Amino acid sequence: MVRKRVPDWLNSSLWSTTPADDRLHHYFPSPTTTTSSATFSEPTLQPPAPVPPPAASSKPQSTPTSPKLEIRDPVNRNSNNNSGGNDQNGDSSGVSPDDISRQAQLLAELSKKVINMWELRRIASQGIPDGGGIRSTVWKLLLGYLPPDRSQWSSELAKKRSQYRHFKEELLMNPSEITRRLEKSVGCDNDESKPEGRGLLSRSQITHGEHPLSLGKSSVWNQFFQDSEIIEQIDRDVMRTHPDMHFFSGDSQLAKFNQDAMRNILIVFAKLNPGIRYVQGMNEILAPLFYVFKNDPDVEMAANAEADTFFCFVELLSGFRDHFCQQLDNSNVGIRSTITRLSQLLKEHDEELWRHLEVTTKVNPQFYAFRWITLLLTQEFNFADSLHIWDTLLSDPEGPLETLLRVCCAMLILIRRRLLAGDFTSNLKLLQHYPSANISHLLYVANKLRTQAIG
Amino acid sequence: MVLVLAIGDLNIPHRAPDLPPKFKSMLVPGKIQHIICTGNLCIKEVHDYFKTLCPDLHITRGEYDEDSRYPENKTLTIGQFKLGICHGHQVIPWGDLDSLAMVQRQLDVDILVTGHTHQFKAYKHEGGVVINPGSATGAYSSFTYDVNPSFVLMDIDGLRVVVYVYELIDGEVKVDKIDFKKTATAPSAH
Repeated sequence: MVRKRVPDWLNSSLWSTTPADDRLHHYFPSPTTTTSSATFSEPTLQPPAPVPPPAASSKPQSTPTSPKLEIRDPVNRNSNNNSGGNDQNGDSSGVSPDDISRQAQLLAELSKKVINMWELRRIASQGIPDGGGIRSTVWKLLLGYLPPDRSQWSSELAKKRSQYRHFKEELLMNPSEITRRLEKSVGCDNDESKPEGRGLLSRSQITHGEHPLSLGKSSVWNQFFQDSEIIEQIDRDVMRTHPDMHFFSGDSQLAKFNQDAMRNILIVFAKLNPGIRYVQGMNEILAPLFYVFKNDPDVEMAANAEADTFFCFVELLSGFRDHFCQQLDNSNVGIRSTITRLSQLLKEHDEELWRHLEVTTKVNPQFYAFRWITLLLTQEFNFADSLHIWDTLLSDPEGPLETLLRVCCAMLILIRRRLLAGDFTSNLKLLQHYPSANISHLLYVANKLRTQAIG
Repeated sequence: MVLVLAIGDLNIPHRAPDLPPKFKSMLVPGKIQHIICTGNLCIKEVHDYFKTLCPDLHITRGEYDEDSRYPENKTLTIGQFKLGICHGHQVIPWGDLDSLAMVQRQLDVDILVTGHTHQFKAYKHEGGVVINPGSATGAYSSFTYDVNPSFVLMDIDGLRVVVYVYELIDGEVKVDKIDFKKTATAPSAH
């Protein structure tokens, strides 16, 4: 992006192309990015030569010393095999030394006995490499699904997965089955009339007044029919998710399986949360989570992707619930106030642009920011890029919202030249179809906004 | 879990003006997947009303039906069950279970839905089950004036059918049910 006046921070050598510089910069974080950068003074790992990742990740194991970590296991936990099967990456050919080093760092971090969440967040915010199931594990840690203590992983996972199975059984049962179970519990057995006999079939009483045409509020059948409306909407939205991706859409067995899983998750969520139920758009937030977890090379993880995704989805949505509740739209936790915050942020960092957008061309931020914020930018960039953005969003210790607003602000600032030159129509068009951008650059700018007072 | 409504012998407008309001309030669109009607509606308006409840409608001809294009009997398959419909005025003696069993064997169905007697009956024999939903309006029959309005809703779930019987007795809707299972192999003729 060429500008009239290039600010210094944009000129940083971080963006230079020489590999050596980059590697060093990654180990010594630039002073502006983190607040408490003083705690670690030396890197924990030797800068790896560009070797294939499995070899690289074994190196860091051998250097034990680092004062920054609270709990550290004794050195030779060299068994790389229990880093959850995530130590292979396909090609290192298209991967820059940055990525390799980041991958090495992540693998090192993940294979520790107790993971330092602060450190993990720091590394993850720079981006997580695509291969080897690393992202799947890291996201689960960042969302609090997996505890930092690795020894607890298997018990936690087993507990959560069985809980989800329980939910599914309870909530996805159709009324016929429910009434059958009710009968069993009440004790009236369907005594099988003699198989070869003749005779009038005996009538029996219905249990709990349950019959399919019941209009009673507490009737299982009535609730079933009322829920069917929501279920239909969920179904429609699931079918429409990412129609261009084979994973989600199409006639293949895989797509159908995935659609079923997503549908189940959303239905269980809607039934467990009667206050918010299902709102259009939740499927878009669910999609990246499910994609990442299902594509975990670890077979066991991939098989249980549905249960894992459910809990992570709940966790992720908990920070954003208020955006989906219509009654809260105008309150100070609703979507409108969040959009106002974005506006304020823009005004702080780039008053000229803010004035031009809101005052001169009267582009109300609601027209574009609504989708950016409620759907966590999944609709603005292609799928792979949005995963990368989510790495940064999820690694924010304060919750994704702060980072999200900064990223949105950065998105505006990056196209400021075009916006300043445009009128209402062209600006709106531009913002609603955001042009493709270099994601790393975008995130870098967003990060800079964290400490800059004026842009 | 398929809900099938078995209803018939309304005899509207000749013997009854309309369905009882309590029945009408329960029969709402969107819940029922199929309607099986034994006959004697008798007019097109009743046909249209049933169509609004559920688009999949199967009717056989009763002796007073004004639309002469309905078939004398009909068979259809729902899930694992074969169902047959026949009004019953053709089967003599009227309401005789052995004769109806013969019709059932002829049609080769698991459940035969029939009417004409205006009296609810559910009868099992070696060839299958005969269900008579009675008269939904309580219209007088060829036998008696003392008729309770009734209809039947079947919940077909795999090999199991739960038959819910809705009857209007003394102004109150009473619901009973009957459970039966189909054995996996077709019941052998004795």
